[in-house]
Order: sequence, then C-alpha cells, then structure tokens
Amino acid sequence: MTEGSLITDVRELSSRASVIDFKGDVTASSEKALADAYTRASGKFTRTIVLNFSGLEYMNSGGIGMLVTLLVRANRQRQRLVAFGLNEHYRQIFELTRLDEAIGIFDTEAEAFAEADAP
Amino acid sequence: MTTIPSNLRRVLRREPRVRPSTEPVAAPPERVEAPPVEIAPNDPLVAYFSGATGAVDIGALQLDSPALEGLREAGIKLVVPLVSQGELIGLLNLGPRRSEQEYSADDRKLLNDLAGHAAPAVRVAQLVREQEAEVRQRERIEQELRVAQLIQQQFLPEELPDLAGWQFAAFYGPAREVGGDFYDFIKLPEGQIGIVVGDVTDKGVPAALVMATTHSVLRAEAPRLVAPSEVLTRVNNLLVDEMPAHMFVTCLYAVLNPETGQLRYANAGHNVPYVSTEGGVTELRATGMPLGLLPEMEYEEKEATLAPGDTVLLHSDGLAEAHNTSREMFGFPRVAALTGEASDGEVLIDRLLKELQDFVGPELEQEDDITLVTLGRRAAGGGPAAPEAPGPAGAERQLASFEVASEPGNERLAIDQVAEAVDGLGLDGPRLERLKTAVGEATMNAIEHGNGNRPELPVGVSVVADDTDVKVRITDQGGERALPEVETPDLEAKLAGLQTPRGWGLFLIQNMVDALETAVDEQHHTIELVMHLKEAPDARS
Repeated sequence: MTEGSLITDVRELSSRASVIDFKGDVTASSEKALADAYTRASGKFTRTIVLNFSGLEYMNSGGIGMLVTLLVRANRQRQRLVAFGLNEHYRQIFELTRLDEAIGIFDTEAEAFAEADAP
Repeated sequence: MTTIPSNLRRVLRREPRVRPSTEPVAAPPERVEAPPVEIAPNDPLVAYFSGATGAVDIGALQLDSPALEGLREAGIKLVVPLVSQGELIGLLNLGPRRSEQEYSADDRKLLNDLAGHAAPAVRVAQLVREQEAEVRQRERIEQELRVAQLIQQQFLPEELPDLAGWQFAAFYGPAREVGGDFYDFIKLPEGQIGIVVGDVTDKGVPAALVMATTHSVLRAEAPRLVAPSEVLTRVNNLLVDEMPAHMFVTCLYAVLNPETGQLRYANAGHNVPYVSTEGGVTELRATGMPLGLLPEMEYEEKEATLAPGDTVLLHSDGLAEAHNTSREMFGFPRVAALTGEASDGEVLIDRLLKELQDFVGPELEQEDDITLVTLGRRAAGGGPAAPEAPGPAGAERQLASFEVASEPGNERLAIDQVAEAVDGLGLDGPRLERLKTAVGEATMNAIEHGNGNRPELPVGVSVVADDTDVKVRITDQGGERALPEVETPDLEAKLAGLQTPRGWGLFLIQNMVDALETAVDEQHHTIELVMHLKEAPDARS
C-alpha cells in the first residue's frame, strides 16, 4: 500500500496563465498525474503556470525530480513556472536544491497570480 | 561653502567688440566661448554672489578676489547668480552688449527673471546627475561585495575534521563589507591535522584575493614541512613578494596529534588562542610577525598537551574588537572568561555569539568578519559515539525499533513511526521536519538500492537518543555497499537534459541532518542520521 497519491486540479486564470492545484503527495509515482495536469494547464497562449502547493502533504526527492521534469518541459515550451503555498520546510528544500531560482516562489496566491498576469 | 559645478564655470560671452560696419552684413555673428574661470570655494566672490539679489555689474565691484579678476580678464561685464533655495548653484555670465551700450534696466529685469526660472531647473539636473552617479557607485560596490564573498566562500572548508575522541566546531560570519578572515583544516602525515585561522588586513576583493593566495600557499607547504614555525617562515617568504602595499596577514597555525593530544603552534601576529582546562583558562602564546611584511622572519614554536575535557578557541578580531553603541569593546578578557565557562566547543561558539549579540545590540551592523574555531578533546567515556562505531553507546536510550517491507512508498511508514518515537524529545518543528525528510530519503534508498525493492527483505529502523542528539539507524541487506560521495546536484545540467532529473536523495539527507555516518558488514548496510536536539547557528560549518 502507501503509494503516495496526488490529486490535481487545473484552473485557467487567463489565456496566458493557468493554475495547477496540488493535493496530497508529490513523489516519483506522481509522474502521470503531473504530466496530465501540465498538459491540461498548457493552452495555446499559456506563458505562465502557477503551482499551488497549499494542499501539499508530502514531497520527496522523487517528487523534486518530477518538478525538474516539469521545468524541462516548461523551458522547452517557453513557459515559466511560479509557485505559492509552500510551507517553510519545503521552501527550505526549494532553496537547498536551487529550484527556487528556476521557479518563482511567492508567499501568497495574490502575488503569484499578479506575477502570472504580468506581461 | 558653495562650489560651482565645473559645467557652469564656463563663461559664454558675446563677441566683445562690434565688427566694423564695412564687413558683410550677411555673415552671422560669431559666438565665442570664453575660457573657463575657476572660482575657489573660499573666494569672497562666492559669498557675494550667494547674497546678491540680481544681476551684478562686474566692473563696479570692489572685492579682493582672484575669481573677479579672472572674470574681468575673460571679458565678463555682467553676472547673474543662479540661486536655488539659498544656495548658489551657477552663474550666468555675459560679456559686453553688442551695441556697446550698458545693460539697461529692462535687460537686467529680463536676465533676473530668466535666472529665477533657470536656477531650479539647473538644480534638478544637478541632483539627477548626482543621484545617477551614486547609483552607479552603489552598484559597483555591491558587485565587488558579491565577488569578494564568492572568493571567500570558495576557500572555507566544507566539513569539519572527523576524529575519534575530538570535537571540532567552526563559525564564520562575514561582515557586509567582507573582510579577509579564513580558516582551514589540513590533513598532515601520520594522522596529524593542521588548523589555521587567519585574517587579511583590508576588506573586499583585494583582501579576498590575498586570502586565497595565503590559503593556497599554506595548503601546499603545510603537509611538506609540518612544523608550524617552518610552515609560517616558508609561507611568509612566499607571500612577501606577492603582497600588495599596506597589506599583511595575521595567522595562527597549529598542528594537532590526535593520538597524544599534543598541539604544536606558531603565531604570525594573530589573536592568542584560549584554552579551557580543568585548572582554568590558559593562553597559547607564541611570538611572530604577520605574514607578508618582511622577508626571512622567524616564528617561535610552542607546544601544549590537551587533556581530555580541554577546549581550544581560535578567534579573529571581529569578536573581541566588536563595539557596542557606546563604542565599548567586547574585549579579550570577556572572550577568555566565556571560554572558561563552556562545556564544549559548540556550546562555546553558541555562547560567544549570543553574548556578542546581546552586547552589540540589534541595530549595529557587524564591523568585521568573525571566525571562531574550536577543537576539544572529549572527556574520557563521554560524548557521542565515535563515527566508525554506530551502535549502542554511553547514555543512549532506545526509543523505537521496527522494520518495514521493501515496497515503494513504505518510507511513509518509517517517517510516521520515527516522528512518533521522537515526540517528547523537544525537537523544534523545523528540525523534526528535516529529520522526517532524511528518514524518508534514507529508507527509500534502503528499499530501492539496498534491498532492490524486494518486499521480503525488511528495512530495519532504530531510533536512539542521548542528552544531545537523536540518532536514527536505517539498515538494509545491501552488505558492503559504500555510500557514494555526496555531490551537489547540478540543476542547470538537469534542466539542459544532460543529467537525469532525479538523484536528489543523498544530497537531501546530508543537508537535512547534522551528521551522517555509515557502517557495513558482510550482509548489512546501516546509515545513521544524527540530529542535535537543539539548533546550532545557521552559519555553522
């Protein structure tokens, strides 16, 4: 048992930005859920995808690997990732792994959305 | 005192003489720019113009002023001071009228009105220009600071020596304007270890570069020569030729024999180390000139034997010479006294930093780099277990022992049970989260790499604690599998597709806990995660 589970929800903010809400665990076994969510979040003109980690319960090194995979895909599609809702611990891990340099981290949903709406 | 900006010292005047009427009328009148007139800030003319209420007729002015002479020689007849908010910011200088008549009352009124409008605009332009220059200067300084910090950090050791029976601790806190502090541990022949603490005079990039050179020379010479006095003599001779003017390096170099506790040391003008002993605080004094000043210097070499329980403190100026708001110094006696009160090196560093913080207060910026290095000989029978022997030791209490099957995802079971076991030890929230992440990653490694995801092979988890640490030991059936060297994953390479996106586990484990040990036998591989029950300062190495 105990395969981590991840539920994702995708919301369109505008034609240029979407949000993926995470609920549950981000691990290596989240690969398909993440890839599907990313596809749904990527419209023709989507430039920014906001990752909402408010519902994140657990993330491990496998999950970090999955985020790197998303980043590679985002770079390829000339999209950028921003995130909010990380707790202090995972924020520290983002800093440690330097993911925070590649994914813009914001304190609040409002700040992340403002960034996503910026030209 | 008012200074006239150089761009306003230029004097624009009309042609001083009207050309004869026989010259072709069509030729446009030539404008001549008069030579610049320098006006010294203390010239009485400045004060006169500052107080003038309008255009000033230079010819009628009676003042003992070199600038006045200069203006007259330049053919200036009338000067209209540009005054903004009571400050003289420039002059409007006019030569004679082309008609050779005097300036009329209307002319003067027009000029005064013009000056009244021009002065604020000129002032704004001056301020903008000054501000732009300031911004450029600030950016340059910030860039230099970043470079200096980068150089500095490159040369600080990444880990402390790991010697059975000894405890090392270090703290490096750079000032905003990075100084030239450094410290190092150098492996020497026969299991000895060299300990360096140094301080380059000056700050910023020059100090960082000298520090880097000193560091490299020490690293090259110490293992070859070993004897502290010889090492410093050699390093000094190598540095003298390279040292920029007005710079030098203070440096304490000590060689520890961990077997005997013998500490040989020499000092090139650095702060005297203190030793906390059973009989009180002693000093490790040895004389010698700073490095890089004069060639062929000799350095006194002394020796001390550290007894179990002794702790040595090596320290840079930034601590003892820190000032509070009343400009009082923290002081060497206070450092010595605190050294005598601490039970071990880590406690000592914590205490020194706390006392310093209380002394200096929150609002003062740190004046200089602070470097603290301690080495302590553990008291016999006490302290944490030697790294090569994870297992029951001293006052350890077993908090939990369990197994999980080697199936992906089962690390969550291990995390939850460890969290439950350590509940009540007083680990604060962030430390508990870090321990949980480390336990998860280590268990995942054990499941996947040690036991090959074979559910029938269990991963053993044991949680023990003593007075200072909690230790989680995670054992798989992987036998003599060496722990690979922990490397910092290269995010750029991963993003460029040159490396797998995975491979973060070991890096995470190492950065989550305070120490990481491994033990192997023919059948088992154990990783021990050590977490101090209390937080150490962030900048701790």
